[in-house]
Amino acid sequence: MDPRFEYQVNQTRRHFFGDSGLKLGGLALAAMGLSNGSAMADTSSGMVHPPLPGLPHFKPSAKAIIYLHMNGGPSQLDLWDHKPGLKDYFDKDLPASVQGGQRLSTMTSGQTRFPCAPSKFKFERKGECGTWVNTDILPHTAKIVDDITLIKSINTNAINHDPACTFVMTGSEVPGKASLGSWLAYGLGSENNDLPAFVVFTPQFPNDSNGQALYNRMWGSGFLPTRYNGVALRGSGDPVLYLPDPDGVARGDRRQMLDALQALNQKTLQRFGDPETQTRISQYEMAFRMQSSVPDLTRIEDESAATLELYGPDVTKPGTFAHSALLARRLVERGVRVVQLFHRGWDQHGSLPYQISNQCRQTDQASAALVMDLKQRGLLDETLVVWGGEFGRTVYSQGTLTKDDYGRDHHPRNFCMWLAGGGIRRGYVHGETDDFSYNIVKDPVSINDLNATLLHCMGIDHSRFSYKFQGLDARLTGVESPSVVKALLA
Amino acid sequence: MFQFSRIPALALWAIIGIQISCCLSATAAETKPIDFNRDIRPILSDKCFACHGFDKGHRQADLRLDVAEGAFDNSRSTIAITPGDISKSEVWSRITTTDPDSVMPPPDSHKELTVAERELIKRWIEEGAPYAKHWSFEPPQAVAVPNTSHPVHNEIDAFLGQKLEERNLKSAPAAAKEVLIRRLSFALTGLPPSTADVKAFLEDNSDQAYSKLVEKYLDSPQFGEEMARHWLDVARYADTHGMHLDNERQTWAYRDWVIRAFNQNLPFDQFTISQLAGDLLPEPTEDQLIATGFNRCNVTTSEGGSINDELLYRYAVDRTSTTISAWMGLTGGCAVCHDHKFDPISQREFYQMYAFFNSAADPGFDGNALLTQPVLKLNMPEIRTQQQAIDEKLAAVQTQIDEKAATVAYQDPAAAEPKSETMMVENVWMEDDFPATGRVFASPGAATQYVESLEGGAVFSGKRAVKRTDAGLAQDVWDQAKEPLVLPQGASLFAYVWLDPANPPKAIMLQYHRSGWQHRAVWGDYEAIQWGAANTTERVGMGPLPEVGKWVRLEFPVEKVGLNPGDGLTGFALTQFGGTVYWDKVGVAGAVNPATDPQRSFQAWWQQIAGKDVAGIPDSLKELAKGGPKPDVDTALLQRYYVQAICESTKANFTDLRAQAETLKQERQRLEDSIPSTFVFRDMPSPRESFVMIRGAYDKKGDPVQPEVFAFLPPLQKADPNARATRLDLAKWLVAPNHPLTARVTVNRFWQQFFGVGLVKSSYDFGSQGELPSHPELLDWLAVRFQTSGWDVKQLVRLIVHSAAFQRDSHVDQELLANDFENRFYARGPRFRLDAEQIRDNALKVSGLLIDKMGGKGVKPYQPANIWEPVGFAGSNTRFYSQDKGESLYRRSIYTFLKRTAPPPFMSNFDGPNREQFCTRRERSNTPLQALQLMNDVQHVEAARVFAQRILKDGGADDSSKIRFAFQEVLSRQPAEDELQIVQSQLNAHRQRYQGDKDAATKLVAHGESSRDESLDVAELAAFTLVSSMMLNLDETLTRN
Repeated sequence: MDPRFEYQVNQTRRHFFGDSGLKLGGLALAAMGLSNGSAMADTSSGMVHPPLPGLPHFKPSAKAIIYLHMNGGPSQLDLWDHKPGLKDYFDKDLPASVQGGQRLSTMTSGQTRFPCAPSKFKFERKGECGTWVNTDILPHTAKIVDDITLIKSINTNAINHDPACTFVMTGSEVPGKASLGSWLAYGLGSENNDLPAFVVFTPQFPNDSNGQALYNRMWGSGFLPTRYNGVALRGSGDPVLYLPDPDGVARGDRRQMLDALQALNQKTLQRFGDPETQTRISQYEMAFRMQSSVPDLTRIEDESAATLELYGPDVTKPGTFAHSALLARRLVERGVRVVQLFHRGWDQHGSLPYQISNQCRQTDQASAALVMDLKQRGLLDETLVVWGGEFGRTVYSQGTLTKDDYGRDHHPRNFCMWLAGGGIRRGYVHGETDDFSYNIVKDPVSINDLNATLLHCMGIDHSRFSYKFQGLDARLTGVESPSVVKALLA
Repeated sequence: MFQFSRIPALALWAIIGIQISCCLSATAAETKPIDFNRDIRPILSDKCFACHGFDKGHRQADLRLDVAEGAFDNSRSTIAITPGDISKSEVWSRITTTDPDSVMPPPDSHKELTVAERELIKRWIEEGAPYAKHWSFEPPQAVAVPNTSHPVHNEIDAFLGQKLEERNLKSAPAAAKEVLIRRLSFALTGLPPSTADVKAFLEDNSDQAYSKLVEKYLDSPQFGEEMARHWLDVARYADTHGMHLDNERQTWAYRDWVIRAFNQNLPFDQFTISQLAGDLLPEPTEDQLIATGFNRCNVTTSEGGSINDELLYRYAVDRTSTTISAWMGLTGGCAVCHDHKFDPISQREFYQMYAFFNSAADPGFDGNALLTQPVLKLNMPEIRTQQQAIDEKLAAVQTQIDEKAATVAYQDPAAAEPKSETMMVENVWMEDDFPATGRVFASPGAATQYVESLEGGAVFSGKRAVKRTDAGLAQDVWDQAKEPLVLPQGASLFAYVWLDPANPPKAIMLQYHRSGWQHRAVWGDYEAIQWGAANTTERVGMGPLPEVGKWVRLEFPVEKVGLNPGDGLTGFALTQFGGTVYWDKVGVAGAVNPATDPQRSFQAWWQQIAGKDVAGIPDSLKELAKGGPKPDVDTALLQRYYVQAICESTKANFTDLRAQAETLKQERQRLEDSIPSTFVFRDMPSPRESFVMIRGAYDKKGDPVQPEVFAFLPPLQKADPNARATRLDLAKWLVAPNHPLTARVTVNRFWQQFFGVGLVKSSYDFGSQGELPSHPELLDWLAVRFQTSGWDVKQLVRLIVHSAAFQRDSHVDQELLANDFENRFYARGPRFRLDAEQIRDNALKVSGLLIDKMGGKGVKPYQPANIWEPVGFAGSNTRFYSQDKGESLYRRSIYTFLKRTAPPPFMSNFDGPNREQFCTRRERSNTPLQALQLMNDVQHVEAARVFAQRILKDGGADDSSKIRFAFQEVLSRQPAEDELQIVQSQLNAHRQRYQGDKDAATKLVAHGESSRDESLDVAELAAFTLVSSMMLNLDETLTRN
């Protein structure tokens, strides 16, 4: 526990025990870390997921975050980082001076040649800001460039999927740390009492794409208490595990069963006085409420035809990216703190043009729709939207190389992400790469810088946001000293 | 003048000001002399050591405050601490100044000293600033047992009583016997007590009643299961590799060994040595080798593109950190990149420890294999016995074959006069078996199946035929032939096939392998099987499917599929799309000269195999066979083998006997394959050189290091003082009598297991950032006692559960909550939620579903759809969860298959770790998702229904006695009158509802794979199912009280 936190706990505890009677306030108990998993309602605020005392550290510019993770390493060269000069380098070796002898993946380190593959796609300047974008396969995202900040200079340490994903989501390549969403749920709680604070979707991806594995740790609580785990709402089956009553049990039956359960639990509470018993009583009621609130969440029939059209035809199919994106908006509308979508299949070592087109077909329209939909509802100002993967791809081709067909290996040195909404600058491009999109030449942004900036938007000073683990004050942003990237902020 | 680190800062005095106004209440420390370790070190460690501690890389102003020599150094122009004189102590002026540029800690560290903390530091300096070595780095002392007025069952209570008196806390009376037996049973076996045990215990009024119960539980096999699951969290045991594909690994023998070790009460020092260095013991036993699996439980990967050196480095770091944490309770991970900031572990020392583990023989890439070397094949005596019986039968059959071979006349056509002429022959490659000289394999999911008869009649020839049924593309393949099958002149390939009229395939295909599988003939739907370029010899359409329901000979010239006489085939495959297909008698027809045909001439055959190792030839003849034809040697036995096994003109005489032998051999092999292996730890033949890795980067080697232990701990005693230190030296050092940490850390973990929180709450950190022990003398006393008892785990457990503190009533009132919220002073008994495994096992046990079979491969009980699949890698063998059937659904949870990247929800939902890293302490959360699981998971709904069946059958005649029965079975007690009423009205409501809706009732009682008791009224069963479910969801049920 953070010592400051412990101090505040002491205050709270004293205050709390000044009260008369056995009124076991959830905030007090949870804050003391004594009820361990208690998430019962705070008697003063009525919150089921209260924030930590003292948080946010300052006025946030975003109340909620929706993070669209494009898993596998989307090619920055074929989406955002336009390099017109590359057409003269088709099938010519990447100059050694550019490559600089740094670490290659062992999938291409044995290659004898490193022939450049210019993107086959058409790029245009769009919006008032004139941001370059691939309009062949991102026609919808091209419409929102005035609302986003594009970062071309994100870089990571890891060159393989598993450590890179673990790094981008938990700030460490080694498994065991807490994920971004868990940190936020832990620190800020949630305004919705009937839904989890941190919700995750793992939508479908193209059948013939190279789908890398996802890991629960990407939305896991790591060393934080497990109640801060992201809850994966599922595309097929029940959206929340074990949500529906078993066949043969109607709502009234469940209520009767719960009434008896709670009456007996009240007696246990009287008998032993254990605050955990009170928490358990509250949690069974919360479970009962979730059995209604979650189906209500997924009932998208009440959306207007115009809204559904905005997200595209897939929106009515549960489990698609579009459907998940719409649910993400409905979640933040309901006060949920963090929503993450993990879309797989962006790992194009070969047949890149064909496969990345399929990837975009599933995600482009709904990603743009999400931003536009939030904007027209006035929610974009308080919702931070993030789009990006775990690393980029190399300018040189792997395998077959023709003008229209090529593959690209992993490239950690620079890749693109975009941010929009709550506190983020509009119509801006940050960072620049060399003519080969191989090295950053201006304004590098590390993963830890990015995460520090995201926390900043949420009202958190990353350097003061820690949790004691294995003798360290563990932080999402690691032990180095990353900085909030002020240029990205509105 | 020296400089504290000086960083421009914001004024945070406002915040400190607030703290002054609500300063902490009086603590015991104000009235007692200052104790450095208790009162001062925690402050310095948290607020000062990061810049003024052990880590020289980050040390500011070249000042150390962690040792007296640094703080008192009077060679400096300004002295940090002058004992006894705060006016000459720069520390004091710097922590009290209002100047934001010089105040300590600097504001941007976000650390502040409270008023109370500053007061303590002042008093400490005034008292002479005595330093002491960190408490846990001094060996535990045999402390005298104090006197106390509190009830004392054993020495534990005497130590606890002293603190209770100091705090003026009253200890609670003993818990009711019904409560106590549950507490003890869950603590020692992880299961609720049986009703019979409860009855016996309540009726036994002797002084030994409790002790008898303790002994019974200590002796039960479930004791080992309950103890083991705590250790398996530390050992990060799981059933998959953990990264990337996250494929299955087979190392469950380690899990079973841990259970066995606790049940056999293996002394903890041996438990330690076996796991860390069992392989280095003289003539290690199988168990000692299995135990080394501890150091193979770390996550591994085989992700393409990874770098071998980096993986090896990470594994060694993981093993080092885990060992440091598991036995010494220290956080070694910090020293991977730099000197430890708080504890005296230098980065160099970390890598010296790492050098013990850095010579591991296992590879960086796990190969995504079930068994990544080094592995140990287990001794399975019962299987060896079965194999011996088979060997005897096999020898008898072989004798019959040999005797018969002696009677079969054979003359080598090569030696015949006149010379033989070319003739048309059939060489049969597959009759009852595929040729022994290659490999047989089949489509994933179903091994090659042989049948001796068909639905519609007999096999075509010989004893048996190959059968396959599949909905899609499937095949039986023979390949990797050591001896090519040579195509004769004018050859045509043939095979006999029988298609099931009830389930015909869409297409069948014959495939042949020369240098590749590019020779295919297909009958039926040409597009059904998309292999090979269409309309080339890679895929030749032979027309419609043959007639169903009869044996049909398929035959075509070899040229048709791009082959030529003289080609040697090294494989063929029998392929189908859908349907049921039988194959028999596969071969080639063509023209040969018997005198030169290896299938007819012994000499030709011998010539052909000369210099080669050919499968199937008896060992005693191998050398002779390989040597090739020689004059003047006795060829009788080799020729006898040829006659029975190879020769086309004679081998038909032996079909029956050879089939018998083959069946026996296959059975023997099946038994062999069923013997599991397990991961073991071993070093490479010569040690890998170890280096300090700069900033923890795998490719930045600094100074070379040798295996060595931390300098602040007792020196290592090497078995051979002149040799490199070994892991065995290390393991023995950990359990040496003068080691200050191992015994303390271990008894603390057991204490945590029984009381919910350790005497040192941070059971993972005994360093200066960890919490101080609540009862340091008790911890030392227990540690010394544990060591001197010979590290006797059962005795330690016996001692703890016999204490009055363990047996107290857990009732807590407001005043006690205020004084001791977490029960760190043990005025009341421990009360906390059951662990994940216990919750599930309890439901199974109470319902009567629990199968108490121990050990073996991890089982896959009920799990909702889409737990593995959404995260699964496309090529992973743990992508799809395939739920087991029957008793595997009801085994104890410790045997559940644990996939690291998607652990079973019943575990993760209740704070079970994913076993990616060691875990010495689980959280205990209390969430709505848990409530949903316990109410709605099929495992629990089924358990409720099966328990309801018991209530209806065994619970007596009327509702009241049935409800009493339910209370007794679930809670080990009788209900109070108002409790009875609450349940009765619940039951009434459900009964009325389900009598009016039998459909709903029928649905409710249908959950789960166990069949419902049809003799019971469905509405009644449904009503009691919900009552049972309610009972199984009670706070009292889910809590170890």
